[in-house]
Amino acid sequence: MSQTDTTLPRAQLARSARAEARARAIYRFRQSWLSVIGLAIAVVLVAVALLAPWILPYPDDVTGAVNPAVAFQPPSAAHWFGTNSVGQDILTLVIYGSRISLLSGLTVIGLALIIGGALGVIAGWVGGWIDEVIMRITDLLLTIPSLILAMAVAAALGTGIWNMIIAITITWWPTYARLVRAEVAAKKQEQFVTASRVLGVGPMRLIGRHVLPNIVTPVVVKASLDVGFAILLVASLGFVGIGVKPPTPEWGTMLAEARNYMPQYWWTAIFPGTAIFLAVLAFNLLGDGLRDVLDPRTRR
Amino acid sequence: MLWYVIRRLLLIIPTLLGLSVIVFAIARLLPGDPVGLAAGPNATPEVIASVAAEFGLDKPIPVQYWTYLTGLLQGDWGVSLFTRRPVAADLAEFVPATLELVIAALLIAVVVGIPLGLLAAIRRDGIFDYLTRTVSLGAIAMPRFFLGLLLQLAFAMALNWLPLSGRFPLIEFPPDRITGFYTVDALLIGDWHAFGLALQHLALPALALSLSPLATILRMMRASTIEVLQQDYILTERALGIPSWIILFKYTLRNAVSATLTVIGLYVSWLLGGTVLVETIFDWPGLGLYSTQAILGQDFMPVIGVTLVIAMIYLVTSVIVDILQAVLNPKVRLQ
Repeated sequence: MSQTDTTLPRAQLARSARAEARARAIYRFRQSWLSVIGLAIAVVLVAVALLAPWILPYPDDVTGAVNPAVAFQPPSAAHWFGTNSVGQDILTLVIYGSRISLLSGLTVIGLALIIGGALGVIAGWVGGWIDEVIMRITDLLLTIPSLILAMAVAAALGTGIWNMIIAITITWWPTYARLVRAEVAAKKQEQFVTASRVLGVGPMRLIGRHVLPNIVTPVVVKASLDVGFAILLVASLGFVGIGVKPPTPEWGTMLAEARNYMPQYWWTAIFPGTAIFLAVLAFNLLGDGLRDVLDPRTRR
Repeated sequence: MLWYVIRRLLLIIPTLLGLSVIVFAIARLLPGDPVGLAAGPNATPEVIASVAAEFGLDKPIPVQYWTYLTGLLQGDWGVSLFTRRPVAADLAEFVPATLELVIAALLIAVVVGIPLGLLAAIRRDGIFDYLTRTVSLGAIAMPRFFLGLLLQLAFAMALNWLPLSGRFPLIEFPPDRITGFYTVDALLIGDWHAFGLALQHLALPALALSLSPLATILRMMRASTIEVLQQDYILTERALGIPSWIILFKYTLRNAVSATLTVIGLYVSWLLGGTVLVETIFDWPGLGLYSTQAILGQDFMPVIGVTLVIAMIYLVTSVIVDILQAVLNPKVRLQ
């Protein structure tokens, strides 16, 4: 930025600085080939999920159609990933499962971000006993392993994708509340906030325009890493038999069913399992890459 | 130091109290019909009412909580709706099994992760460094239950080296209970045959559980070692001609491990939750399998019990980690 010509008009100067920062960020991201791989897998996953209705090889299978005549076919030209115990095409189920996993993973993190973020802002900004109450509840929830809490809530709410999303969100918001609170409380002490307040900027505008934009980086990095772990938690719930119920195809549920047919029919497990692995890996790599771009100080 | 430990341990009590309120509230306020499930699908209203009365579920929730809490303090953790056994007795049976698994996994993770992390840091940006970094990224993303399944496929089904599941062969008697840890009990009574069997059963589940913490510890160890190696005092020691292995083991290791220790402490809670999946895959009779069955049956006394036990283990571990930090690093003051 030091090389920019200071005689340029202010707007143009700002634009060129921004363009330069963006170019630098893209450069940093592309430097790490692992993040590029992560991005590539994530893009493919999202594309597959969006295009699912048009690319399913056997669309009837996702609505519970069975075809016992072709049960347990090994991978072949007709069934790339083989078929399961009732003759459904595993590729079809894995493709459709990406919709469930991505939808629930992204929704959980979005909701957790909104709920945890709002509570974190309140706790960090208002302070006092409100801060104490919110943070003590947060601490308590964080001592319960998230899988067990999510399982208990999901089991009580009953099956279904939205009940599962609610259950996982309940276990996830505290981490965001804690992060946002710490960031807001730190920013509140900074001089630009005091200065704005002296100038008569109201609290809503102060938080929305001056504090929140300054704490976006750590939150975005955490959120992108968390999408992968949320997908993992969704699959884990499916695996223990809570969450989405058949015939809706879900990767974890498919894997749980495949356990009964090991080792002869290995393909019933390998493909959904690999799908979970790749989805989690993609968002982990993406999150790591984003951290390098947005917060170069934490590199290596 | 002693006062600090006592104060920290005393602080666990209000935390557990708060936790019991939250878990109890979640268990009772959520929709769901545990009584109906326990009484069976064909139960008449009279039967349902008598089951509800038997477990005190017909009283108001604050009264139920008070009954539970006073019972808890007397060692009565409630009764499972399904096994009709006291939860405390069930826990006494399942806690050692889970702890054995978690401790074994943590041991593998520490014993393998720390040296590998150290090595990766010394040979920074070398082939070994890239290899471990790539593999550990994959290891963190690997679902434990899928890994468990793959291990079973490879070592139990294809190669037939290790048992598929369980904690001990069904046809043999496990070693007499002293600690509840089969491996430890077998060693204590000097039964090498039983020790071998227990270890064989422990190997795969412990491995499946250890991979993710192993990768995290490796990455953390690598990062903190690199940071320590860049300190001025290390440069001074190099300039003084002190051999690199002395610099590494005497001056670097201790500081690097101290940072990694925090991560290890945090992982205990994750491991205790993670046992749910690994125990399901390997039919390991521990807290995870117990709580899964209880949760699926909406049998909430065991769920509350398991949650409190896990929270207690987690809180005690964090006290131990803080103490170890202070022992390793004199800069950390306990107050």
